[in-house]
Amino acid sequence: MVLLIVFLGLAATAAAAPLLASWLGRAAGWPLAGAFAALTAIAATQVPDVLAGRPTEFAWAWIPSVDAAFRLRLDGIGLLFTMLVLGIGALIMAYCARYFAPESSQSRFYTLMGIFAVAMLGLVLADDLLLLFVFWELTSICSFFLIGGAGDKAVRPAMRALVLTAGGGLALLAAVALVSVHAGTTRLSAILADLSWAGDGWVGPAVALLVIIAATTKSAQVPFHFWLPGAMAASTPVSAYLHAAAMVKAGIYLLMRFTPAFHDLVMWNAILVTAGLATAIYGALLAFRQNDLKSLAAYSTVSQLGYLVAIIGVGTEYALAAAAVHTLAHALFKATLFMMVGVIDHQAGTRDLRRLGGLRAAMPVSAVVTGVAALSTAGIPPLLGFYSKEKIFAGFVDAGGPAWAGPVFGVLAVVAAVLTFGYSARFWFGVFGGPLSERTDVREASAAYLLSPAVTGTAGVVLGFGVATLAPYASRVVADAGFPGHEVDIHLVPTGLTIDVVMSLVAIALGIALHLGRGRVDAVLDRVRAPFTGDGVFDRLLDGSIRAGHGTGGLTRTFSPAAHLPAAIVLLGALAVAALWGGTPVAPPMDGLTRPSDWLVVACVAVGVLAAAVVTSRIAAVVLLGVVGALMGIWFLLLGAVDVALTQLVVEVLTVVVMVLVLRRLPLRFHPTGVARRGLAAVLALGAGALTAVGTLALTNRRELSAVSEWLMTNSYEETGGVNVVNTILVDFRALDTLGEVTVVGLAALGIVALLDTTRLTGIPPSEFSLGTGPEENVDDNAIVVRTVARIMAPAIVLLSLYMLFRGHNDHGGGFIGALVAGAGLALAHVAAANPRKSPIRALPYVPIIAGGLMIALVTGLLGYLDGGFLRPLHLDVGSLHLSSAVVFDVGVYLIVVGAVIAALHRMSIAPLLERDTMAHTPKEERPPDDEDEDTESPMVAATSGGRDAEEGEL
Amino acid sequence: MSAAILAGVLVAGGVYLILQRGLIRMALGLILLGHAANVVLLASGGLYRREASVIEQIAAVRAAADPLPQAFVLTAIVITFGVTVYLVALAGSGSGDDTEEST
Repeated sequence: MVLLIVFLGLAATAAAAPLLASWLGRAAGWPLAGAFAALTAIAATQVPDVLAGRPTEFAWAWIPSVDAAFRLRLDGIGLLFTMLVLGIGALIMAYCARYFAPESSQSRFYTLMGIFAVAMLGLVLADDLLLLFVFWELTSICSFFLIGGAGDKAVRPAMRALVLTAGGGLALLAAVALVSVHAGTTRLSAILADLSWAGDGWVGPAVALLVIIAATTKSAQVPFHFWLPGAMAASTPVSAYLHAAAMVKAGIYLLMRFTPAFHDLVMWNAILVTAGLATAIYGALLAFRQNDLKSLAAYSTVSQLGYLVAIIGVGTEYALAAAAVHTLAHALFKATLFMMVGVIDHQAGTRDLRRLGGLRAAMPVSAVVTGVAALSTAGIPPLLGFYSKEKIFAGFVDAGGPAWAGPVFGVLAVVAAVLTFGYSARFWFGVFGGPLSERTDVREASAAYLLSPAVTGTAGVVLGFGVATLAPYASRVVADAGFPGHEVDIHLVPTGLTIDVVMSLVAIALGIALHLGRGRVDAVLDRVRAPFTGDGVFDRLLDGSIRAGHGTGGLTRTFSPAAHLPAAIVLLGALAVAALWGGTPVAPPMDGLTRPSDWLVVACVAVGVLAAAVVTSRIAAVVLLGVVGALMGIWFLLLGAVDVALTQLVVEVLTVVVMVLVLRRLPLRFHPTGVARRGLAAVLALGAGALTAVGTLALTNRRELSAVSEWLMTNSYEETGGVNVVNTILVDFRALDTLGEVTVVGLAALGIVALLDTTRLTGIPPSEFSLGTGPEENVDDNAIVVRTVARIMAPAIVLLSLYMLFRGHNDHGGGFIGALVAGAGLALAHVAAANPRKSPIRALPYVPIIAGGLMIALVTGLLGYLDGGFLRPLHLDVGSLHLSSAVVFDVGVYLIVVGAVIAALHRMSIAPLLERDTMAHTPKEERPPDDEDEDTESPMVAATSGGRDAEEGEL
Repeated sequence: MSAAILAGVLVAGGVYLILQRGLIRMALGLILLGHAANVVLLASGGLYRREASVIEQIAAVRAAADPLPQAFVLTAIVITFGVTVYLVALAGSGSGDDTEEST
């Protein structure tokens, strides 16, 4: 329960961050720090239990079917990292309250830091692999935004960080999948307690490799190290948190967590020790060469992480104790150093070592705090960094394995330590030692600003003196990270002049020599230049892959849709031919399939389709399509599909109306197509048609009614109170499908609105009306009959549509059909109007109608939860009247479809942008003075048709 | 047999039209392909039962047409309408084969 309180407390803190930041500005850091500190204290109440080997747990069912749950667990390893995430987090929040400019808005920053902390805490507490993965990715995403938030120069580094760490995340996902499949659970503690899955042939090594990839990308190990120094483009508090307690420590955490499974796997040891030591030395070497303090600190992190990875790779009890203590030591001194970089940069105006120096008198407190952290980094007794590094030396020397391993590891570790000493000294002496630099007005920072680094720095000293108190914690981590059931007792205080103490002293001595001779060393290093950089290689790979993707896409990138289609058609046809070739046994066809009247419809359709394919007039093609559609309606009627036939007939009417609205703006004739193209199209068309016919013949009409349909028909009345089974399927049994479908329809309508808001319908006038002066010119008079009819019929049709809507459950009709009928009525009223701007439908707010319909459908669906599930209809009997909420759902369907029809009619008739363009940009095309209505959408109409009436007439 | 021929004719017409120039003819072709799909769907329910599937009495189940494909087809028709209208709007708003006079 405590875990849930801590986790939810941190989540609530993150949620409150934007509010606090908008009220308090940068000072929001103080209350946030307070919250972090309080949560640290709450988590600390679990220390006795954890130390006694009784991990605190919490579980909340999440996806029971795959045994995934929101499981949190606090053991020794979790405790170490939880304390870092919360404790260092509190100090960095406090630091932020002074770091940022007083009046700046830091909402985004505090929010992201809050989420980042939540992700890290979730990661180190997660006892479920899926949960672990989700939080792992969340840390990558948060750090991407935190790095990228620093401005344009940070875009590229943020990209690199994201691509690399998300790539590592994919490896982790693969590992999670493998482990959970082979272990049969996603519960991390259970997986690590029973390691039978790891002994399963290739699974163990594969998972080990994937975990290594995930951890080394996250923790910036060679060759993935380069994203971390780039990430310092972020603001200093971000860097401090990222380097000391979060993000990069996630990789270390993962390695420690999986140590029980892999510590005796040679591949695990070999890869981690090699990569780790290489990173330790390479990172230290690069840190030594930096002039920018922040770069120096960043490469120092790379190097120290290398130490940690290598020592975890050694995998002995002693090595793990060293890793645990060094994780803590590194968090403390690195947080201090980064925060001090921010302080120095702020006070002295630069963080370039070449322009700094001699500030020890001006900034005495800073000098001491920085000095303490640098000494800890360099591994000078009695600071914590000395003890942890000494443990690491000891861990390497006793690495086990071949005889040469211990000495070689030891020597390499000392080399890295010497360089570490070198850059630590360079850091401190470069800023505070030597003669005073150009700036003479540098003053000490305020106490509030120095508070956080002072605390972390002091902690390094205190824990150095009191290092023995850490022993039980280290023992616990060791017990949890590799040797469950074993209580190991580790003495942190060196007992005498052992080999590791000697190594420490040698490293210090050589480090002093390196510092004294740094001029000569610098000269040598300056001549050595790596032939390539990680950034460069990565960028080339990234750009290359983007170019390759672009090239691949270019093969099919064309503006002509027809260029894509033959390939798809031919491939589909080839599949069909292959299936025919292979042959599939089919049942004999049922009797009574075809009636003579069917053939009549088929023949008429064939004539219509053939004509539609060959005509060159657009209007003729649309009319022919309308005929075919009407024939389809008759066909459906012949099949007894009455609801489908009704739908088809009304849709056909509406399609023709909408098409004509647009077609009258387009040229009369289609563009001619070349003979070769027509020939190819005809061949493909005949082939596809023949295959369709054969396939349909072979695969339909060969079985009895399906069990589902039988069930639906026998149970429709009892289950839904409706007898029109088609409608009950739509609004009741399969209402979720319907909801999706009407959403598509609504979106298509909104798409039209959006499309015609940004572009516009083309303004070519209806050329049919442009000749002569006969009666057909006068649209107003011409339409008198239809207008008179529409005045009576349109309202009647809309009323009829309501009737059809409400009777749908029990007779032919329903939301779809009702809406289409209403649409047809509105279309009649619309086309009869002399002017689309006087059309009766002009005032109907189609977007709210669509949105309202969708809301009704959704709310009805949600009400279903009262009776067991989304979209489950509620029933109510009032006397003999049976009411079902499915009818209300159908009302939602009705509104969406009606709204879509209105949107189409409205937008296809009126091009608002065109009007605005005309008014705003082409004043010479002014409206005629006698123009009482607002129809100016197409001034050319007046010019070409020679009359006001023709101009107003829209059909 | 009649359903198979009908679907074949519609697919042939549809494929021919979508391979022509201009979005309008593509839209017309898609309408035909939509019809063809609807025919196949209804045929999958079986053409030997042709009574309307309004089931007042259980005895009517024997002769009633399969309602499930009908429900699919009904929504498919409406969606095809939405897609067609969208395509037509695209055809009418851009510039290209559809909106320019052929020369």
